[in-house]
Order: sequence, then structure tokens, then C-alpha cells
Amino acid sequence: MASGISVKHICFAYKNDDTGEAFPKALDDISLDVDIGSYCAVLGPNGSGKSTLAKLIDVLELPDEGEICVLGITASDEESYYDIRQRCAYVFQNPDNQIVGTIVEEDVAFGPENLGIQLPELRERVDEALRYVGLYDLRKREAASLSGGQKQKLAIAGALAMRPKVLILDESTAMLDPVSRDEFLDLVEKMNREKGITVLTITHDMNEAARCERIFVIEKGKVTMTGTPPEIFSHPDKLNMAGLELPQDISLVNEISKLADKTLTEEDIRDEEARLNTAVRYARLATSRPEEPQVVIPEARRKLLEVSDLSYSYDNGRTYALEHINLSVYEGEILAIVGKSGCGKTTLISHLNGIVRPQQGQVVLYGKDGEVLSTSRKKDLARIRQSVGLVFQYPEYQLFEETVEKDIAYGLIKLQTPEENRPARVKAAAIIAGLTEDVLTKSPFELSGGQKRRAALAGVLVMKPSVLVLDEPAAGLDPIGRIEMFMTILALRDAGTTVIIVSHNMDEAARYADRIFCIKDGREVGTGTASELFKDEETAGALGLSMPILYDFSAKIKTRLKKEYPGIKLMPPYPVPSQEAASIVRSVLDAE
Amino acid sequence: MLNNISLGRYVDTGSVLHRTDPRIKVILYIVYLICIFAVDSLQALIALSILTVVQLVVARMPLNVTWSTVKPILPLTLFIFILNLFTIKTGNTLFSWRFILITDVGLTRAILMSLRLLFLILSTSVLLTLTTTPLKIADALESLLSPLKAIHVPVHEASMMMSIALRFIPTLIEETDKIMRAQESRGADYDTGSFINRVKGYVTVLIPLFVSSFKRAEDLAVAMDARCYRGGNMRTKLNPLRITGSDILVFIAFLMGAALLILTEVLLGG
Repeated sequence: MASGISVKHICFAYKNDDTGEAFPKALDDISLDVDIGSYCAVLGPNGSGKSTLAKLIDVLELPDEGEICVLGITASDEESYYDIRQRCAYVFQNPDNQIVGTIVEEDVAFGPENLGIQLPELRERVDEALRYVGLYDLRKREAASLSGGQKQKLAIAGALAMRPKVLILDESTAMLDPVSRDEFLDLVEKMNREKGITVLTITHDMNEAARCERIFVIEKGKVTMTGTPPEIFSHPDKLNMAGLELPQDISLVNEISKLADKTLTEEDIRDEEARLNTAVRYARLATSRPEEPQVVIPEARRKLLEVSDLSYSYDNGRTYALEHINLSVYEGEILAIVGKSGCGKTTLISHLNGIVRPQQGQVVLYGKDGEVLSTSRKKDLARIRQSVGLVFQYPEYQLFEETVEKDIAYGLIKLQTPEENRPARVKAAAIIAGLTEDVLTKSPFELSGGQKRRAALAGVLVMKPSVLVLDEPAAGLDPIGRIEMFMTILALRDAGTTVIIVSHNMDEAARYADRIFCIKDGREVGTGTASELFKDEETAGALGLSMPILYDFSAKIKTRLKKEYPGIKLMPPYPVPSQEAASIVRSVLDAE
Repeated sequence: MLNNISLGRYVDTGSVLHRTDPRIKVILYIVYLICIFAVDSLQALIALSILTVVQLVVARMPLNVTWSTVKPILPLTLFIFILNLFTIKTGNTLFSWRFILITDVGLTRAILMSLRLLFLILSTSVLLTLTTTPLKIADALESLLSPLKAIHVPVHEASMMMSIALRFIPTLIEETDKIMRAQESRGADYDTGSFINRVKGYVTVLIPLFVSSFKRAEDLAVAMDARCYRGGNMRTKLNPLRITGSDILVFIAFLMGAALLILTEVLLGG
């Protein structure tokens, strides 16, 4: 059989550019084999070496030890590097940083032009690739004007035009919203199926991994697990140890099986049918009746922030980014704002602290002593910006000072807080944000990605805002990083801060937010708790939302239960797999 | 905040100028540059204005795009106007009050110099940036300068660098906007305070912008490697430059315009 990708005993360490000193090994004696025509995922937490592996396969880095053979070619001399790169197309994480051409078709042509492909074949390849990914009609457009999802499709088109045999996706969907991500993955699957292209995806998105044929789990530069998704997911503890988690649907099955004192086998979760059967089977076998899950119902609280009849247009009224938005935020709650990319979320949150000021309608903040501040009044702005802290997406790219301490203190200086108070407030903010004290004297540019984000968060927390607005706080983080970020957010809420998060991860919005505000094409389409909005697929679909995976799967279990136990009393869904498992098991035991 | 600047931005209206060979546009641009600086009389200036309007119409540039091209340059234009108006003391006095003295020569100079700047920007935009993609400008320069390769000037590399720099302008503008918003949320204020303070304010914007540009440059270099980029030698072109009949017509028409301008200057001007 023709070989696909064979990695044998590879060791690799990055070197300091200036001193030539080697950093700790990123890859440590790693070996794996990818069959030709297969669809594989490499899973691992941040810093596990998974992206490094992908770069080595595409000869973008050279191994210190060991051998990599791609489609029978071993990287030995310069010529062979290009032979491999030509056959292995690579799509990177950041859509903006891989577009070379200004115009869509010029960018697609960049690869084949480098290969010296002559016209008319060059034109045929470009047009075919653009048609395949569905960007043909936009071929004359400026590449910078495309949406994130379209840019990643453009990257795929650029790859396809080189007629590759292997496609490497290096966290290519990390910056996409769920709809764009699904479209992107559908496209990738189609390429794998129709063109027989071998796909190797580097990811920490478990739902993405679940769609693959084979998974490699990498930890600290070594492969620790290999197998099909059911094989891998039937070892939840091992997966947790590796800093990963189960996909939400399998997690629910796993929680139900735990209540029955059973462990999942590969067969139990082979496909959706098997998962449903397992869930129903084990729900019956539960050893004891679980406690009713406790969900804190928020008491009626004071209104803190109010948006009324807000409309905003970037082009003098031709189109509206926001139309007649009404939104109230209550003290001490976590509110999630959800919607597709480009639906007006960012414009809306930019209004909340007066960075963008209303063209129509108003945004009002109610102070503690009954005072009313409005972003429409210029003299109120400084006070509002202090009370409403805004952290944009990927805030780590906005750090600028020499030390973390100075960066965090920036807002205090701008607000002319007395100098003697600053060090204590900076330290306190850093600790709430989850940083350790020793980080304060370091340069922000020395920190890891996760630490940088926390430093940026501290820079806003230092102002002691009563409302904290976070745009996609967990974007690009690995499963552990995401959980830690949300733990920080919950702790902030418990300490009295009102939190507004913008998210496109429905499972997380349902799990962590008290209420969800849905926005579509600049209009409010619904506000409520997760169990109201995601009652069933119809309700969610009408709001333009994709169901959280957990809710979707649990609804399927419940449909089946209703068939088996006609009079069964089922509860509305809970947002956490263990709670939902308990709720289902209680219902089944009651019915029996 | 910053996204309404169209300096250096390509706007496709599908006009004949958009389709014209970029090499011709570059040559015409140089011709017009010379003309703009050769113009020294009000008569020729009027002719130049008419020509510029014709160029804009031929390029089918919408008014708002034209306006946003000119807008960022207006303060500088005004500055040049005032500078010339008040500093030139020769000629007949038109107006005088205390130390202010405005003369007819000063006024003509002021109008001439400030309009020159405007036409310079408009010509650059209409002949190059607005109607020609950066990649094509780079192509044109590469082709026009290719004789220099004989003396080992890295013409291809230079043109590639230029086109990439231009390609990232919108991306960087967007990023600047984001950084400014984030810092405004933290109490920054770019519009008030002393000049020094305002400059300092922009430094805090520039640092993260530089850092991320380096990161982008690194990423892009790896991405280009992955797509088998290895310099200019073997590369082919999706849209190779080819002179067509309409290119020659455009060339002749614009040259005639320029000739007319020079004639006006020589015959009617001072």
C-alpha cells in the first residue's frame, strides 16, 4: 500500500534566534502513521507540540532527530522540500496572515504561480478551485473585504489550486463562528471523500475531532493515545488527564453510565444510534436515585444598565448595524449576547461604554446612589467608561507597556487615580485575573498566550468596573484554558461584578449565562434563559441559533424515552452534562 | 473611525482605466507628475482641473470615493495654502492689516501650490491606486525595471515586498481601529490634551501595532513558504501583462491631454 505520512522517532526543539540556545523539546521521540486518503485529527492542549508536528510534516521546520516520509518522499535536499510542500497544502489559524494576494483570484493563483504552472492551465486551476469552495462569484473582490469564514475558504482554494494530496489544517477553524466552522468542515470532508485528499487536522475542538476517522492525542511532545473517535472517547479519564474533554453528547452518555456504575465501551458510543441506546439503557440501570440538580434561580435585582430603542448605521442610514435594540442588564447577572459573525454584537457592546455613541435611542447606566448616566452626554463618558469595562476579542494583541504592571496601571493613570493607591490595585486586579505576582515585573511580550489574555483582562479589572463586557473571552483557548477562563468569570460575578459575555459557543452560553440575548441582523430576536430559548430545535431555529450540542442530544434521548414510557415526566434541559444526566435518570426511575 | 480613508485602496468600477495595462498607467502617471509640476499658470491649472475631472469620469469613480481620497489630505493642503499666502510678500498688495500682507503673487502661489498637491493625490489615486490592484502595480514596476536585473538589482523581491505592504494596509487600519477602541475603553483620549500628550497617546497605539505586524510578517513568511514561494525565477502569472489596442488608445488619449496641458502652459501662461 502506498504510504501516507510516516513520522518516525522525531525530536525537535525550537532555538533562540540570537543565542542558538535550544528551548525544551517540543517533540520528544514521536512516531505516528497517517494512511493515505484518511481523515485524521491531532488533538492536544496548547503547547503540546501539535502545531510543531504539522510544520515538520510540511518541512516548514526540520527535525533534530528522526525521519519523516510524506507520500514516499523524504525531506533530504531543498528540491525535496518543495516536492513535499507542493503535495501537502497547509491552512493556518489566522485567516488574515496567510493571504498574499490583494484580489481573491490573485491569491488563489499564488501557489500554482510559484510552481510555474502555465496559462491556460493556471486559469483553469484557479477557476476550478474557486468554484469548488463557492467563492467564484467573489473572485474579483478585495481579499481583505471577505468575512473570516470566506477567508479560510479562500485559503482552501489556494491550497486546492496546487492539486495537493494532503491537506494540513492547523487550528484552521479556531477563529470561526459555528456556522462558518461547519461549512468549512463540510468542505474539507467533501475534499477528503471526492478527491481522496488525506486530511490531517490539528485542533482542540472535540466536536471537530469526533468527525474524523482517526485521532492522535499528543501530550508534551509524545503521542499518548491513538484510535478511532469511539476508542478515544471511551477513555474519558485518560482524556481529561491530557487536558481535553469529551464532546458534549458523549459526555452526557458518560454521566448517565456513571450513575449506573458502568464504564463506556467503544461499542457503546460507536455512532449516534449506539449513543442513544446506551443512554436509554443505562438510565434504567441507575443504582440509586440521584439528587435533583440545584440551579440557582436569580432573585429580582436592580436594573444596572439599560439600552433603549438603539439604532446605529455605519453608512448614513442605508443599512443598519443595530435596529431598535432594547436590553436591560441586572446587577450581579451573567448575560450572554449570542449571534452570528457580523450580526451587530460588536457594535452593540461598543455602545455599552460609549466608545460608540448612539445615533438613535440611548444607553443609560444607573449608579448606586440613584444617579443616571447616559452615553449620550459627553460629561458622563469618563464615569461610564470607568464603570463599564470592555475587553475586546483577542485583547492580548493590545498590550504595549514595558512591564505587565505598567500595562495594567494604564487605565489608572488615565483616570488620574492617586499614585499611592496604584500598586495595590494593580496587584489585586492581576490576582483576580488569575496571574501570579511574579509576572508583574515581566515584559508582557514574554508571557504565554493565556497569561497575556489575563494581563489584558487585569488592565480592565483594575478600574473596578461594576459591569464587565467580554467579547469572546475564551476564543482560541484549549479546553482547560476555556474552563479556567469561565471559572474566573464566575468568581468575578460572585464578587459582585455584572458580566456580559459575547459568545458563539452555544454550549458555553447555556452553561455559564443566567440569561441569553439573541441578536440577528442587528435586531433582537429573543431574550431568555437557555432552557426557554433552546426548548426545542424549532424554537432555536426561529431565533437563528444552532442548538447547544448537549441540548440537541438530550432532546433526542427524551424523544426516545417518551416512546418507551408514554406518561414519562421530563424536565426542561440543564446546561451541565452531569445535571442533565441526573435529571434524565430521575425521570426514568419515576416512570418505572 | 479609520475605515473611511481610501488612500491606497482599490475600488473596482470596471472602467476602461481599470483594464488598462498597469505599465501604461505607470508611464502616464510619471508624465502627469511632470505636468503637475510644470504647470505654473492659472490658465494651465484650469486645463489640469478639467483633465483631472475627465480622468475621474473615465475611471467612473463615485463621488464619495473621490471625496474620501481627498479628505485626509485637506489639512495639509490648507496648511500649504496659508503658508504661501502669508509668507510671499512680492507683487501688488491686495490686503494688508497690521503685520498681515497678502499680495496677488502670494495668492496665485497659494492656489497653485495647494491645488498641485490635490491633483497629485488625485492623479496617484485615479491612475494608480484606485484603478490598479497593488499586485498589478508591483507587476508593472517589476516589468518596467526588469532591465535592472542585469546589474543584480532584486527587482522581483522589491516588487513583491511592495505589493504585500499594500495588501496589508486595510488589515492594519482595522487593527489600529481595534487597538484605539480598546484603549479608549481604558480611559485614553486621543483628541484632547497638549500636543505632546496626544503624540504620546499614539505611541501606545503604535507599539502593539508594530508587535502584531512582526507576528503577521512571520506568519506570512511561513505561509508563503508552505505555498512553495521561492523567488521570481520560475513564477508564472495568472494575469500576465499584455498591451492591447485599447491600451494604446488610452495611452495616446492621455498623452494628448498632457500635451494640451503643456501647450496651454507655454502659449497662454506667463
